[in-house]
Amino acid sequence: MLLNEKEARAISERMLGYVRADDATVAVSSLNYSHLRFAANSFTTSGRQENASASVVVWIDKKRGAASTNEMDEASLKAAVEQAEQLARISPVDREYLPTLARQTYKPTNGFAEATANISVADRARSINEAIAACERAKVVGAGFHQARGTANATATKNGNFNYERTSLVSLGMTARTADGASSGYFLRNHFDVAQLDTARVAREAIRKAVESRAARTLDAGVYPVVLEPQAVADLLSGLSFSFDARNADEGRSPLSLAGGKTRLGERIFDERLNLYSDPWNAQLPGSQAAQAGLPAQKIYLVRGGGVENLIYSRFWAQQKGKEPTAGPVNTILESSAPAATLDEMIQNTPRGLLVSRFWYIRGTDARTASLTGLTRDGVWYIENGKIQYPVKNFRFNQSIMQMLAPGNVEMIGTPERVGNSEGQGDNASLLPALKLKAFNFTSQSEAV
Amino acid sequence: MSSTRRDFLKTAGLAAGAVALPAWVFEAEAEGAAAVDKNRLADIALSTAKRLGANYADIRINRYRFESVATRERQVQNVSRSQNFGFGVRVLYKGAWGFAASSVVTPAEVGRITGQAVEIARANSAFQRKHVQLVGAPKVTANWKSAFERDPFDVPIDDKIQFLLRLNEAALKTEGVSFVNSSVVFVNEQKFLATSDGSRIEQYLIRCSPNLNVTAVNRANGDFQTRAALAGPQGMGYEYLEKYPWLVEAQQAGEEAVAKLKAKPVEAGKYDLVLHPSHLWLTIHESVGHPTELDRALWWEANYAGTSFLTPDKTGKLQFGSKIINFVADRTQAAGLATVGFDDEGVPAQRWHLVRDGVFVDWQTTRDLAPLIGHKKSYGCLHAESWSEIPFPRMPNVSLEPAKENVSLDNIIGGVENGILIYGRGSYSIDQQRYNFQFGGQTFWEVKKGKITGMLRDVAYQSRTTDFWGACDALGGQATYQLGGSFNDGKGEPGQSNAVSHGCPIGRFRGINVLNTAAPERS
Repeated sequence: MLLNEKEARAISERMLGYVRADDATVAVSSLNYSHLRFAANSFTTSGRQENASASVVVWIDKKRGAASTNEMDEASLKAAVEQAEQLARISPVDREYLPTLARQTYKPTNGFAEATANISVADRARSINEAIAACERAKVVGAGFHQARGTANATATKNGNFNYERTSLVSLGMTARTADGASSGYFLRNHFDVAQLDTARVAREAIRKAVESRAARTLDAGVYPVVLEPQAVADLLSGLSFSFDARNADEGRSPLSLAGGKTRLGERIFDERLNLYSDPWNAQLPGSQAAQAGLPAQKIYLVRGGGVENLIYSRFWAQQKGKEPTAGPVNTILESSAPAATLDEMIQNTPRGLLVSRFWYIRGTDARTASLTGLTRDGVWYIENGKIQYPVKNFRFNQSIMQMLAPGNVEMIGTPERVGNSEGQGDNASLLPALKLKAFNFTSQSEAV
Repeated sequence: MSSTRRDFLKTAGLAAGAVALPAWVFEAEAEGAAAVDKNRLADIALSTAKRLGANYADIRINRYRFESVATRERQVQNVSRSQNFGFGVRVLYKGAWGFAASSVVTPAEVGRITGQAVEIARANSAFQRKHVQLVGAPKVTANWKSAFERDPFDVPIDDKIQFLLRLNEAALKTEGVSFVNSSVVFVNEQKFLATSDGSRIEQYLIRCSPNLNVTAVNRANGDFQTRAALAGPQGMGYEYLEKYPWLVEAQQAGEEAVAKLKAKPVEAGKYDLVLHPSHLWLTIHESVGHPTELDRALWWEANYAGTSFLTPDKTGKLQFGSKIINFVADRTQAAGLATVGFDDEGVPAQRWHLVRDGVFVDWQTTRDLAPLIGHKKSYGCLHAESWSEIPFPRMPNVSLEPAKENVSLDNIIGGVENGILIYGRGSYSIDQQRYNFQFGGQTFWEVKKGKITGMLRDVAYQSRTTDFWGACDALGGQATYQLGGSFNDGKGEPGQSNAVSHGCPIGRFRGINVLNTAAPERS
């Protein structure tokens, strides 16, 4: 069962009561989680778990120790505190120690739905059965993953701060493959409210992409104009707002670093229509009310009008540099300041290019330029004269994100949509638009389906 | 027969003489564990599942301990210990799996959670199209512990801190080194399994993962390069930190991070590659380990990790690589991260060939996968990362056998006109059927006319699995064989991690496509 605020506060206070150290922060978490997985048009695994845990970090003479346990009885909680204190006593001084926060005031966000946290297993079985039945009707083979979770987390400091939040998340990702294995489609969506997750749409879109990818042709690798669906953008950029770390930039090991120890703060590095920000109170994408170290979250622009407006300062780095610590980010929202284009308009305005539905297995290759490699997956189509002509086989790409979003390479920007990074299985979400780009670098072919 | 944690420690030979439990274990934890009668809880779970109509059931009651220390340069960033304890019940009801888990380890909770597992399976069985079937497994009663000389949880924290700070100092000796991050993580799994087939198994596993990463920044031109440790995690105890030449490795890492700033950018093109075991293990993991997972081939992983270019009809027929290529799956391998006594449904650890003389010959299986290809027994590949997760097929140690002859690195390089020698794990990416891959590394050395002529940078190679292994024309002998591995190999939905090792000798691969990652062009 999820801990309510009273219960979480009581455990937090009990742990802090055991603390003899100079300073401490405790975190108490509880989780209700369940999933149903299916493949080859049949259920595979399904399960649920209930868990709770408590962790504590203490400082004695600025020396740090940490411990955690999932046994919530008095003796175990006390033992965790003693363990952390024992570690602190034998540790060297934590040179980055700053006193924990005193009482803060939080403006609540709304990212919890009771119905999501306590989903009915029978209703879910019926819902996924309908998705499988849709696959059978379309003569495709479905595989997918439905999960629902509720969490209740509290943090408290010895200096008087307390924060309690509940969140929920439900997601369905589905892959449809034609029986001959020659084509595949995928769709993933999530929400904090199960009532807002359109499972029929997920099944419909995955099946449509599989059917429309049949008889894919081979195209040479090379540099192509592309239209990226929101899923493909999420696969590349879902964590973008978290990559603006000031310390890395100052230390010279970030794409936001410049020669001579300078950074790109203030420089217009992206297309001038692009704004990248974090907003805890966005209705579609509520973030946490608490940012790093428990600071009350605020709306933060990382990029505005294509220019770097903020770097993210941790409390320690802010102190070192005489700055304010950054009260975010807690989510990633990328949008255009100009009117949005639809996906159809992007295709209609493409004389020659590729429509990409998804990327896969993305890994960094050069941190200096934020260069990535990865592959297209589950739907690539060739566009000519403003129309989709035919599906094509997959490619590997090698592409710098900095170049991709640079002035001159972004041609059209869509309406941001709530979409999760597909390698994240629906665990995360961002608000990201479809993008039409002038050039995207595909370096080899893949016959994978 | 009741068995407590103290009993287990005694029977497993871990409580040497009158020595008490490892010093770091909380008294409360020890008392709590002693109070848990696992066999009684197992009886409750298995009898409840049977009464509610399950055809098969198992319960895992596990404790996991983690200890980690992280440092940068001359300071300690984090010292932490964590532990978690709980149980998971898996049931098979009318051909559908159900699973439920809880951190409250009491008789009443075991009864309640078992009921939930059956409820889930029952709800799903109403719509189940393909009924799950299991091959048999031997009835086993056993205690097993992994092979280690020194339990890292018995070693004082201060020793671990000083170990890491010494590494940092060694790396910082080289002028031009800007940053050093180092860490070490120790894991202890204490696992209990009871199955409705009658098995009762306890296992005690230790593994450790030291890490080091050195960064050199050229402030004048804004360039920076990193060099991570070449040695990886092992299924060993603290002796791994004591016996491996970590200080030499750290100093070399510092020197090479700085040298990379001045290294020659690679020119894209075709090269003969000589791949050191510190690099090649990851290529094996991605291009051999994953495609030989039978669940992938049967599309069970289609929605996430993907399927496989291998299919059951290719077994015994497909030419996977050149004739010198032999891959062995082995859950008994010394120091292997995936080495166990028994898997998570009680199947004993085994060793078998996946590729023999270049031909793909067999799969990784579990009790529910084996019957789907006509096998009568499982190879024992079921694993869950925690008591709280449902077990599913995971990779055993998969290793490349060395040449029988005494072939050295010099022998292999001597046969290269225009090539690159690669050390260490770098960037990695592979498609969802495991055809097309790209790998980077830590250090790259130009080879001309059989000699190493200098350092290169920005190297990655792209290839296709069977083309790549088909292009292997030389392997090092046993003296070049090393074990690499991953502490956290991700797979499944919800995602779970698995620790797995891959042993291999040095290998030579002819005519592989290389690109420059700083200026990638079409390859």
